[in-house]
Order: sequence, then structure tokens, then C-alpha cells
Amino acid sequence: MITSILKEHKGFGRQILLLSRDELIKTYKGAVIGPFWAVVKPAFTVFVYWFAFSAGIKTLKNVGVHLGGPEPFSIDFFTFMFVGIIPWFFIQESIIQGSKALRTNRQFITKVKFPVSTILTYTGLSRLYVHLFLLIILYGYVIYHRVLTGLPPFSVYDVQILFYCPLMFMFFLALSWSTAPMAAFSKDFESLIVSVMSGIFWLSGIMYDSYNFKGVLKYAMLANPINFFANGYRNCFLYNRWFFEYKTELVIFLVEFVAVFALGIFNYNRLRKRLPDVL
Amino acid sequence: MSDSIVAAAPSALAEQPIISFRNVSKTYILYKNDQARFKALFFKPRNPKTNKALNDVSFDIQRGESIGIVGDNGAGKSTLLKMITGVAFPDSGEITVNGKVAALLELTAGFSTEMTGRENIYLKGYILGLDKEYIKEIEEKIIEFAELGDYIDQPVRTYSSGMKMRLGFAINVNIEPDVLVVDEALSVGDASFKIKCKEKIKEIIGAGTTVLYVSHNAESVREICPRSIYLRKGAVIHDGPTDETLKVYQDYKESIKKNKKK
Repeated sequence: MITSILKEHKGFGRQILLLSRDELIKTYKGAVIGPFWAVVKPAFTVFVYWFAFSAGIKTLKNVGVHLGGPEPFSIDFFTFMFVGIIPWFFIQESIIQGSKALRTNRQFITKVKFPVSTILTYTGLSRLYVHLFLLIILYGYVIYHRVLTGLPPFSVYDVQILFYCPLMFMFFLALSWSTAPMAAFSKDFESLIVSVMSGIFWLSGIMYDSYNFKGVLKYAMLANPINFFANGYRNCFLYNRWFFEYKTELVIFLVEFVAVFALGIFNYNRLRKRLPDVL
Repeated sequence: MSDSIVAAAPSALAEQPIISFRNVSKTYILYKNDQARFKALFFKPRNPKTNKALNDVSFDIQRGESIGIVGDNGAGKSTLLKMITGVAFPDSGEITVNGKVAALLELTAGFSTEMTGRENIYLKGYILGLDKEYIKEIEEKIIEFAELGDYIDQPVRTYSSGMKMRLGFAINVNIEPDVLVVDEALSVGDASFKIKCKEKIKEIIGAGTTVLYVSHNAESVREICPRSIYLRKGAVIHDGPTDETLKVYQDYKESIKKNKKK
């Protein structure tokens, strides 16, 4: 089953890279400051949230994160939010644009023979480039923040980004194997995804500590894969915690990952051959 | 569903037909509205309205044959060609295509617009399953044929539609295809290039390539293809020498005319 997707990628690696570069150019072409939009838009969003919560609602100066120690881990709100929102930008784009990718690249499905699953890979890669660029900016800020608070600039926990970042890419790629063919079939499905996304943001621990819940809600928060990545990035840069230290969180995520992966392969194979008829 | 496109072992190529359709059927489901379409994502639609584009089609085409495909609009010709080129897939039945297929159908489609013409040659080459060395070999031939000059290293989005067509045509005819699919309604830009294209197609046919030729025009089919297939409402009505097939087609057309007069 997975072989159909793997086969489509085989020997096509260089072309995928070229196509992902194209996709990136297409996204920012025609704008005067072009690629700077990749930074301006997120920067403005970060500013707005900081302004609303730190300067507007004056209560939020510090966040206490419940990491399981006797005292909550205390961190200033801006840093807490900034580290969590960078993966969110990637996740948001991946879910929305990922589901639209087949529809917007339909010329490769209805007009020529093409390894269709690679469309999802190269459009995903083009988003990853933007994310990596923002990640560099984030890392610069993290170092600045550490020096400012009297910590050493680098930490051994930083290397975990090599675990979280590729995993995040893979997870949302596998998700698009399901959502993209379904959105190609039905525009309603695409609209459904777009309309729930802003809600998803407030249901995820980007602006608040997702560990600070009890009972059923605690598990509901752990079951949200977006929390896994937001907290994962904070593990790297803030919490000084290894990804395997909170085992429940890791196991729940891995089970979900396998499920999303299997479902993605199932849905892609189920719908692939009917795509040229409906697009 | 037994809808696989099977690639045969190279040793068996000599005796095997180059294209083989076995009981191929294809049905398009016509959804009543967008809700029905949304529902169909999760449940099988109950008694949906359908359009049978191909109905139990079987035929073999041998290496080197030139076949004409005739029929009215909506007879299933384009669906059939799309299946041979690997764009569409059957619901049931089996299709075997043993070789490289070049399609002179939608020549301006399938380019990546930000890539240069040269990069698109490689893209198309890889999609057709060619390796890098081979593409390198034919690269210059393609560029020369397409008459693009310095434009070959410009992004395809800067091309006129005529230039895109020329590039698409040049790529398809220069990959040394085993099967060439041509639609008569093909237009490839200005008169002088049109002549060049016709000559090239003739040259390819002369070289013993299998050709599938789709047309409404009886004369041009007769000129190129000794054998023809007549499709009506998705079914093969007649498959035989072109003269015979065209007679059946003509008779049917006239019988309809008569019925209308009555």
C-alpha cells in the first residue's frame, strides 16, 4: 500500500526539489518586497498577540508552565508564546494549503501523467523552507534571551529540533494524503478545514500552558498533535527537557502518527484513480 | 477492482501487442449536487446517475500498426486516449501498454511555469520515465526543433502559447516514442511550423512507430491508418480495415439523418 506513494517518489527527488523552489517563487512573486512577506506576516501576528495579552490585558507578564515539578516553570509571556507560535505558522499553512494543493496543481493531474503524491511533497517542502527561515530568526531570539537572563547561549537540548522539525513535516504531509484528495472531491471539505482552523488555534496550547488541565481535558490536550509540537519546540529552547521525558505525551502522539499515516495511505490509494475525473 | 496497468517483462515484448485493452469499462458518476459529492467521500452513493464512457472495450494493437479512432463527440475517444497516456484509469478491466507513449493532445499543459524551458524538458523526461543521460542526449534536438533560441533558459511563464505548444510538441516527438497519440484537431502555431510538425509525424509513422489517430475527418484517417476502430456510446461498434469501419460509421450517420427527416 505505501509502495504506491514511495514508487511515485523514486528517482524523482531532484525534480521535487526544483518544483518546491518553483512553488516558493510562485507564492511570493509579484509583491514588491517579495520574500519579506514570509517574515512580515508572522511578525505582525506575533506583535498583535503580544500587544493584546501583555500590553492590553496587563495581567499576563509571566506564564507558569506545569512541567511536573513542585513549582511551575516560570517564563515571560512573550518568549513562551513566540517559541510556540513559530511551529503553529507552519502547521496552519500545512493544513490549509496542504488540503488545497491538488486542486491548485490540477494541471498535473488532469492533463499529463504525473506522480500525483509528489505534488503534496513539493508544496510541503516549499512551506518548510519558510519555516526553516523563521526558525533561524527564532533561534537568534532564543540565544539573545538566554544571554539576557544570564544563561549560556547554547544548550544540548537544542539538538532536539532535528527530531521535532522533520517529524512535524512528515506528520502534516501524511495528513495531507487524506485531506488533499478529499478536498479535491468536495469543495465543502476544503471550506470545512479553513473555517475550523482559527478555532483550532485557541484550542491549542500556543497562548497558554496546555499542561495546566485536569481529568478528561488533560487527555484532550495531550491528544492534540499541535500541542505536541508547540511543547516540543519549547522543550528544545525553554524547558531543557528531552522529548522522551514525558512518556504519556510521546506515546499518545506516536499512536496518532501511525493512525494518520495509515489513514493517509488508505485515502490516497482509495481516491487517487478518481482524481482526474473530478478535478 | 482489477484496474492495474501492467508492465510486461522486456523479453516478452516481441510477441506481445504493444497496447492491449481487456474488457475495459469506465463509468463517470454524476453527482446531483455538492452535498451528494460531499457525502460520496464517506459513503458509496446509492443508485447514482452514471455516464458509461467506456463499456467493455477490448482490442489489441500490434507494434508498428497505425490505428484510426473515429466516432461522434462523447463516444469515449478522449477517455480511451487518456487511459493509454496514463492520465485516467478504468473502473474494471485491464490495460497493458508496453512502451513510451507520446501524446500530442494538450501540448501547453503540464509545464511548471516558473521553471525554464530546459528544466521542463527534464521534468517531462523524468515523468516519462527516462534517465538523465538519455534526456541529455535528446536535449539539443528538442531545443533545435522547438525553435525557441535563447528563450529556452527563460521561465515558461514568459512563453507565448505558441512557444509552449512548440516545446510540448518537440519534447513529445523527440523522445523516440513507441506509441504516438495524435488528435487531428491539434493546432501547433503558425503555418510553417505546422508543416514541420506534419512532416515529423509522417517521419515517425514511417519509422514504424505505433500511431493512434483520432479524427472526425474520414479522408485523413484513410490516408494514415489501414485499420480503424469505431466507437459509439462507449462501445466498440466496428474494428477492422479503415474502409469497412468508415462505411459502418457513414451508414449510421445517414440512418440518423433519415430518421430525423421522418
